[in-house]
Amino acid sequence: MTSRARLALLLIMLTVLVSHARAAPVQSGNSAAALYNLANSYARAGKPGMAVLNYERASLLAPNDSDIDTNLRRVRSSARLATEPRGWFERVFTIANPNLTSWAGVIGLGLLGVGVLAGRITSRHRWMRVAAGALGASLIGMTVGNGVVLWPKLHEGVVLTAETPVLVSPVPMGDALFVLPEAETVRMLSEHESFVLVRTRAGRTGWVSRANLAPVVAQPAADGSP
Amino acid sequence: MKPDCMSTGWLIATVATCVLAPAPVLADVPLLYATIEPPQITMGQSAQYTITNLGSEAQSMQLPVVAGLNFQFIRQSRQLEFVNGTALPSVSIVARVTPQMPGIFSIPGATPQSPPLVLQVNPEPALGSYFTPRNTAPPVKPPIFTGAKMPSGIHLAEDGSAYVRLSIPKREVYVGESVPVQIDVGMRSGFASSRNGLPKLTGDDFTLNNLTFSPERNERMLGGEWFVVFTWHSDLAVVKSGIFSLSAQAPLTVRVRTQPRKDSLLDDAFGDPFLRNFFGPSVPKDIDVISPATELTVLALPAEGRPPDFHGAVGTFTIASDIAPAAAEVGEPLTLRLRVTGSGNFDRVDSAMLDHVDNWKTYPPKSSYVPGDAEGRKGEKIFEQPLIASKAGEQTIPALTFSFFDPTARRYETARSSPLSVHISPSQADSILTASQVSAGASAAPGSTYAAGLRPDRVVAGTSARSLVPLYLQPRFLAAPSLLALAFAGAWLGTGRRKDHAVNMPLRRRRLSKAANRALAQVEAASRGGDAARFLGCARSALQQALAARWSLEQDRVTSTEVSSRMGSEGRDIVLLFALADEAKYSGHDLHTTDYDRCMRIVRQELLVEKAP
Repeated sequence: MTSRARLALLLIMLTVLVSHARAAPVQSGNSAAALYNLANSYARAGKPGMAVLNYERASLLAPNDSDIDTNLRRVRSSARLATEPRGWFERVFTIANPNLTSWAGVIGLGLLGVGVLAGRITSRHRWMRVAAGALGASLIGMTVGNGVVLWPKLHEGVVLTAETPVLVSPVPMGDALFVLPEAETVRMLSEHESFVLVRTRAGRTGWVSRANLAPVVAQPAADGSP
Repeated sequence: MKPDCMSTGWLIATVATCVLAPAPVLADVPLLYATIEPPQITMGQSAQYTITNLGSEAQSMQLPVVAGLNFQFIRQSRQLEFVNGTALPSVSIVARVTPQMPGIFSIPGATPQSPPLVLQVNPEPALGSYFTPRNTAPPVKPPIFTGAKMPSGIHLAEDGSAYVRLSIPKREVYVGESVPVQIDVGMRSGFASSRNGLPKLTGDDFTLNNLTFSPERNERMLGGEWFVVFTWHSDLAVVKSGIFSLSAQAPLTVRVRTQPRKDSLLDDAFGDPFLRNFFGPSVPKDIDVISPATELTVLALPAEGRPPDFHGAVGTFTIASDIAPAAAEVGEPLTLRLRVTGSGNFDRVDSAMLDHVDNWKTYPPKSSYVPGDAEGRKGEKIFEQPLIASKAGEQTIPALTFSFFDPTARRYETARSSPLSVHISPSQADSILTASQVSAGASAAPGSTYAAGLRPDRVVAGTSARSLVPLYLQPRFLAAPSLLALAFAGAWLGTGRRKDHAVNMPLRRRRLSKAANRALAQVEAASRGGDAARFLGCARSALQQALAARWSLEQDRVTSTEVSSRMGSEGRDIVLLFALADEAKYSGHDLHTTDYDRCMRIVRQELLVEKAP
């Protein structure tokens, strides 16, 4: 098999992989628009916790959606919660949604591999090999950066009830350390029975009842439902 | 000294009254004013308090009343005073002020608009003072009140310095009943100097709620003397039935005079307002003042009609219960809150009524008490019971009951709460509702503050994602880049040998070309020299070298047999050349010119094959 044939085989394999994944049947799922509309409905119903939760979920699917970002900030400010501006790092690496970024990473891996392999096979078209490798590395870097940005958000939770007590121990009768307002976003560190160990933006930690908190990314249930 | 001056002044005033006509009073001159001289004295000394009226006598002139100071009237005088060149008739009252304790006293002004006067009373020097009493008579107690009628229920201590009064609203109570009591401790100004502790009840059959260290403080005139009265309100509970005698006692410190009063009375007879030892020095003494005994009948709780869930609560109570939130999810904790409101012994109000909540997962309840009055007899006790529903649906918490004994009605009562209904739904946090479901529920809360200024909903549903977790973190998706990476790794390894070969080939060829050129040069040199053995040796060596490179063999292994086996008939000339080389080497066989040419052609042919790209 000649080198041209090997390169063509790799490209065909990459195309088949991408097309197979793109063509995979989509089960009952979520869309950014549906979550956005749901969050708006919760906000109109006077439930800032569920509204913020669904805005956060929608922003996972569409990180650069200005409507989602605007409404999320408006609800948080209405709930007297602090809103932090997005940094340049976050803006750059969430320019595309995570799923598109995932495929970009796969394509980048393919380009990088093809470029490297082509360099091993032939010495001709050097600039094309370098360009392919650089583009592939950039796409992979975009995917990794997207993961770095979204990783904390994947482990965050939103307080759903007003005046949620944060307990010193994971038992219902534990002493309360402080109180979290509704719609506050906290970092979920670990779980114990029906309690979640959380860390606030101010760095304070404590246990919150699972009923008062919803993770931004819900763990899949045993039956496979989201 | 002073009496002379005052007598002279009196004479001048009398003459002036006769000579001068009364002048109009200036508008800015106060008509009534008071002075005190000197403003600072030592315990045992007296000061002179003078109140003067420049106007008509109709304006009242009364001596002030100050706790800790004794004002004794000395005399009243009339005189003329010159104010801004105008002679005004005036009336003055002179009183002797004798302190009963050291301190700084504020004496009210002569009129409400007048500033108060200040008298500083310093403690008496310890030793060697001029004011040290000269006699060494034994301490004399303060005078006992005589002739003054005291209110009922107040019996002064033996020395008249203080009293304790215990007030109980009823004389017949039940065991465990909480009875409000009031304890008054009256301390006569100047005689009782300090409290040495809280009052307490005599006997072990009663319990008294904690008394505060800061009771109510009032000043009251009793029997013509001023008393500072401290009042405590508390609750009394009796632990067993019977007839008991109850009293209260309070530890106090009183001051006892050490100089006989008769000496002071003698000094008073001379009219000296600045006699130092009116009461004389005094010493502190600790005493216990006990109130008069009160008889209290304590009845046992009746056994008849006692409910099985009665746990000793005596009083009047009502209960109410609620649960929050009214709707919850499976596994979510709810709080059942029971409120017991009323008056009585709340320490016997327990949470046993919550033990009958079945079909729920329960945790130990937590209680809190909110007092409704200062004594804590009235108030509200709240029990919070965490509950966890185990299944969805409409769940009901049965009515709760609480039994107590009502001492007013003299019978047992049972309070009941209403049953509670709770809607338990499946978990909401992990499921996604549709916007229409939420909008349907939003109708209950229109005009939310959170909805102000929101950007509108989307019309297009957009592409759907199976999960919120990014694809690059999903194991199924990770199979694709993993397979791709494995494929690249395999291709990398597969192309490794070829690359080595391809990379090394030009170098090898260059090396072979150089070696072939060198071998060919040697062969040509030997040919030109006519040395057959050397020529054939070089030719054989060149051929072995070229064939060894072609067949990837060692040069020594390229023999006639190897050449015959690999090349067959095509190698016949090479085999012949090898044979001629051996023959020339060992037998000195010479070659013909045509043999040189033929051998050179064979060598060139093989070397040129190796040099070709």
